[in-house]
Amino acid sequence: MGVTVVQNFPITENRTGPSTIELLTKRISALGAIQQGHFLVDCETYTSVPQLGNPRTVHILHNSEQPATVFSILETENKTIPLATDGLFDLLMIKMANFYTSKKQTKAESKGPRYEIGDFLVKLGTVTVSQNFKGVLVEVEYRPCVVPAMCWELMREFLQGFLGSTAQSAPPLYLQNRMQDIYSPIDTIHQYLEQFTIYRKAPGLRT
Amino acid sequence: MERDLDQLYTALNAIKVLRSNVGSVFETVSNGLRADHGEEGKENKFMLELQDVLTTVNNNLRDVETAAANLTPPPGPFNLGNTAYLSQETTQERQALYGQLVNSYKWTDKIREYSTLAGNILATNSFNKTYKTFSTTKRRKTQTSNHNVPPEVIENLITGIDRLFPDVTINATRPFVPNPVIQASLGRVLKAIIAFKGLMIEWVIVKAHSESSDLWTESRYKVFRKVTENCHAAMCHFYSPTMPDLAVRSFMHWFHSYNTLFSCSCKRCGNHLHSNLPPTWRDLRTLEPYHEECK
Amino acid sequence: MTSPGSAVDSLSAAIKCNIIPNQEYLLQGSVLDQYVEVLLHRLRGLCDNVDSGPESFNDHELCFTLRGNTPNSSMVLPLRVRRALDVPDAPWQLRYVGQHELGDKNRPTAVRSSIDMACSSTIVEFLTELGCRVDFEYIARGYMFRKGRMKITVSKIFKMGSMASKPNESVEPISQSYLVELSVLAPSGQDAIAEDMRIFAEQLKPLVQLEKIDYKRLAHIQ
Repeated sequence: MGVTVVQNFPITENRTGPSTIELLTKRISALGAIQQGHFLVDCETYTSVPQLGNPRTVHILHNSEQPATVFSILETENKTIPLATDGLFDLLMIKMANFYTSKKQTKAESKGPRYEIGDFLVKLGTVTVSQNFKGVLVEVEYRPCVVPAMCWELMREFLQGFLGSTAQSAPPLYLQNRMQDIYSPIDTIHQYLEQFTIYRKAPGLRT
Repeated sequence: MERDLDQLYTALNAIKVLRSNVGSVFETVSNGLRADHGEEGKENKFMLELQDVLTTVNNNLRDVETAAANLTPPPGPFNLGNTAYLSQETTQERQALYGQLVNSYKWTDKIREYSTLAGNILATNSFNKTYKTFSTTKRRKTQTSNHNVPPEVIENLITGIDRLFPDVTINATRPFVPNPVIQASLGRVLKAIIAFKGLMIEWVIVKAHSESSDLWTESRYKVFRKVTENCHAAMCHFYSPTMPDLAVRSFMHWFHSYNTLFSCSCKRCGNHLHSNLPPTWRDLRTLEPYHEECK
Repeated sequence: MTSPGSAVDSLSAAIKCNIIPNQEYLLQGSVLDQYVEVLLHRLRGLCDNVDSGPESFNDHELCFTLRGNTPNSSMVLPLRVRRALDVPDAPWQLRYVGQHELGDKNRPTAVRSSIDMACSSTIVEFLTELGCRVDFEYIARGYMFRKGRMKITVSKIFKMGSMASKPNESVEPISQSYLVELSVLAPSGQDAIAEDMRIFAEQLKPLVQLEKIDYKRLAHIQ
């Protein structure tokens, strides 16, 4: 698992979601990318029942890149705890239905095509929150390197190459404190959760 | 004889003077009216000047004629030597002399240019890798072969390179006794599995830390496959049978420069990426990063 | 190229096809310390991997319960977390075990639902923040044998001496015997495996008596 950056691609006024994806697809194919299947990242949120005391939220995320793993992030007022388990954790959540209830309306997912160029992996995702289209998320992974500080410049150059001026110049918020740590798949999930939270809060399309 | 020479010199002088004055005639005519002819009567002054110069030329011509008349013709044909051949075929169209001269000049010029370049390049890879020293004055101890050395020497070499850099950690295993296979981890960037034969490096393969430590499977990532190729080139470049530990040390120095594989930009084009690869080449002397296409 | 189905979809498909092992068939017994060597020899001969010998393990298990704040809340969820003390890099195991049904005399083993999964080491903090409390913890050291799908463990349970920082030292055994467990994890409805377990248990008969234990009766014994 290499260093991954998840970034929102703002949709201009006169474009729709599929046409934005098409535009990005054209750009990335011009750089020589080959499509290698599809990907899906989804997120479901559960909140604790009042009998448990302080309100806590559990986000359960799946990433098709790690198909045998279920990621969960528990958020209390001041702590965030990540966890990675086998696929059966979903069954366990069903058993915990008395304690943690889910709000079906906030199910968020990002899915779309997946491309490989050289040692890069690019995923162009259409974000939908409970079946409503919300925006476009671009995920870029540079597989050989596992330390963000070493390859951030390189990735920024690559992002600028096909996102143009919309590419961020600073690393994502989640990574800024962890530039020297070894990157692991849960970090990607944190970034997706960050983005999904913004999407959920935005009414209509995210600008 | 001297009188002849004197007359010859006089005649030649006269011709020189005539020539220069004819030159000044043409100069005057081509310059036309000049500023120092003044405002009034410019044309008259110009005409007077022209007349003066033409009379000078006439006088010179008369001098030349008298001088030439005083010359005695030579008794017989001159001995021209090789220059006689110049008169044999004087028409340039029949003789391809000019064209051939130009071509041979170009050819010699190019030869000279190419040989300087070739000389420079060949000098860097001196093929003088023979064992023998032809100096018989000092007696050196006979160099033992590089692949048949006692194990302690290899041990010393490995501990030596282990101490060389703090961020390169070495693990040595001995699957083929006594030749070690060392795994050198360069920080968190990559790891290289280097197989020795005695004191010489025989095979290098570069992979990511997460991949297997197998000597035979290639890396999954294009960038490390490229670095492996470059390591092989460097391994051959630094090969020196006469100074094996210097060879290994120089190779390790060069290899250590890869710890900036992902973070530095190419010295020539300034970018991090070229055809989706970071600068995978390190110059063999200056250790500067270059892209594969920029080196 | 079809898009990947979501994980929940594949999980529900797996449940429908009945391939997820979510039931545990269990037989338990105990053997005194002085006879455990004989039992180990017998098991070594009966089980797979005769030449490589039994695998030893040294595990630390914590038992959590998730319950509501109200005192007589009926919602209680027990969870167990197990980690290997001898292999520090091994993943931790999270387990949910339900109430076991003894059934009638025809059913040779106890059956209980169990969901078993590997997890990262942040599980303890996760469960604590989720609202679980540690009920008890212990250390189990012993040997594990396999025969086909069956797993036999012979382990000694130790009480934790000091805090969890140094769980290897200052432990004391809670009894002078070893706990022997024979279990199989299988999808529901495969009751034939219970019969195989009973036949295997017969072969260990004079040394150790493996049977289904009724915990409710144990609770009454004081």
